[in-house]
Amino acid sequence: MMVDAINTESTTSPDSLVARGVSRHRTSDFEHWRIVTAHQLGHYLRTNRFYGLLGFVSLVSALTLASEINAGVTAVQVQQLFKSSEYLSNFLVYTGLWVVLAAAFFGGDALSVDFSTGAGYYMLVLPIRRPVLLAGRYAAASLVTLAIVGTSYAFATAGAIYFFGAPSIPWNLLAGSLGLAVMFSLAALSVAFCVSAFIRTPAAGVLITVLALYVGFTTLQSVVELAGIEPWFSLTYAGGAMAAILDTDFVHIQTIPLGEDQYYTIWVATVLEGLEIMAAYVAVFLPLSAYLYQRKESTG
Amino acid sequence: MTMGSFEVSGLSKQFGTGPPVLKDVSFRYEGSGAIGYLGPNGAGKTTTLKLLVGLLRPSQGHAFLNGVEATANRKHALWDVGAVIETPEPYPTLNVLEALDVVGRARGLTHDEIDREVDRCHSLLDLPPLGQRIGWLSKGQRQRVSLAASLMGDPPVLLLDEPTSGLDPAERVLVRRMLNGLKRDHLILMSSHQMFEVAEVCDQVIFLHRGQVLLQDRVDRVAERIRSRQVDVEFERPVPVTAMSRLGELAAEVVAVSERRWRILFDGTDSTRVQLLRICQELGPVSQFANSSLLLEEAYLELIPKVPEDS
Repeated sequence: MMVDAINTESTTSPDSLVARGVSRHRTSDFEHWRIVTAHQLGHYLRTNRFYGLLGFVSLVSALTLASEINAGVTAVQVQQLFKSSEYLSNFLVYTGLWVVLAAAFFGGDALSVDFSTGAGYYMLVLPIRRPVLLAGRYAAASLVTLAIVGTSYAFATAGAIYFFGAPSIPWNLLAGSLGLAVMFSLAALSVAFCVSAFIRTPAAGVLITVLALYVGFTTLQSVVELAGIEPWFSLTYAGGAMAAILDTDFVHIQTIPLGEDQYYTIWVATVLEGLEIMAAYVAVFLPLSAYLYQRKESTG
Repeated sequence: MTMGSFEVSGLSKQFGTGPPVLKDVSFRYEGSGAIGYLGPNGAGKTTTLKLLVGLLRPSQGHAFLNGVEATANRKHALWDVGAVIETPEPYPTLNVLEALDVVGRARGLTHDEIDREVDRCHSLLDLPPLGQRIGWLSKGQRQRVSLAASLMGDPPVLLLDEPTSGLDPAERVLVRRMLNGLKRDHLILMSSHQMFEVAEVCDQVIFLHRGQVLLQDRVDRVAERIRSRQVDVEFERPVPVTAMSRLGELAAEVVAVSERRWRILFDGTDSTRVQLLRICQELGPVSQFANSSLLLEEAYLELIPKVPEDS
């Protein structure tokens, strides 16, 4: 092998080229995580997709609330069985969809962007471990997803206060539901990041995440329920716990007669079951994403 | 400043079942200076740089930056390295300052040091307005931001893949001037298609073709090697082609540069050179007989066809 020592004696560059007094400190992985999180968050908060989704969720929530106000307090109270918890449960029925959309928008291309655009040539040559890079982006995606979900919860809470009064609101259950929404967001983002680590094209990653989380899981859940099996493996099934925790007439298993000796059984995840499923998704898909991301090559 | 080094040892890369893109490439440099990494499209230049920074994993062999393999310890290997590979794209939503800030912080600079480094890069590269969004910049401006990012924190090793790509002539001069200054106390590996650029900036050169190193030497020695086998002869008056055919027995090729000026390729020996001069003097008054002023490009073109197609 040829070894060349070009110039091992230090020489002096022109003044303008010398970085005088630059003293760099070894940056810990935690510091890198914070840097990446802030960098990614700064990016997300300026994207059209963030404002588009936030606007859409706000619009749907505002229209729902406006139509209820238009119907009148009495009508809503009768419809919601005079319980603010039922009102909240009904209002938050779309939370799962918002989470899926946010997970797809902010997680579906979070990693593939490094291998399909020049973004990777900027970030992946920095002295940051890839799992740390992933963790920072995951944290940023979680925060913007929570901003979307939080908006829906804010409208729901405002409506509950308007129709039922603040004292009637089960704050502990509402907090529990929000906690489950956080967990559901983390689980959905884990799946989205995994898709993103696997798929090369960002748009395909977003689309596959929506199809997998919303269409795929929902369809599969219906099919296995028809076969009389509890869909314990489904993330959307686990997501049902977000609304179920607020449901005072919660029923875990409901059997609906279809005809002679024919029944259709519907399962609704309990809070504990929902939490376990969501945690399992995070535990499986997040490390898998990190593994795939670590192994992925910039072949473009 | 600490001395940097990079090394590739028996490095090979193959994608799937396709032909190898890189075959048993080895070189090592340490200290300071600029090394030109030359080769036609598909030669494996960018692949080598990607293997060095860990964007690709070697099929065989090893790639070290400052003694550390990026695939084994990315953080440690890239700590003292600035790299511009392919076309880096900071997030288009961020402005120039934010794009440089994240690099500075990742490399362990404080807020004040980042400000100083941005100022230094600004003076070196004439950066676009710092508040301007990346997405609104021209290709050349983005390239200058990427070069500035590679300089943040003053890493001793710089890996630059076509660093003047997308720049206008004035910007190219700016970057070449900068690299000529930086190479005094930085180690730079620079791939390029621009031979004159490599000749102007680099001290050493590596010729790569179809994934193999053809030649690795000092730039002046490479030029001299070719130059010694070529002379330019200038007559005081035009000499007909038929007359020049008398050189045919001694020369490998005789090319007309102008009516009075001819370029002669020969075996490079002194005896042939003397005989060529004697014949030329018989053909007419010779005003000049000297080694041709060859560029690196000619050395490159001479080397490339020597490799058989199936190698």
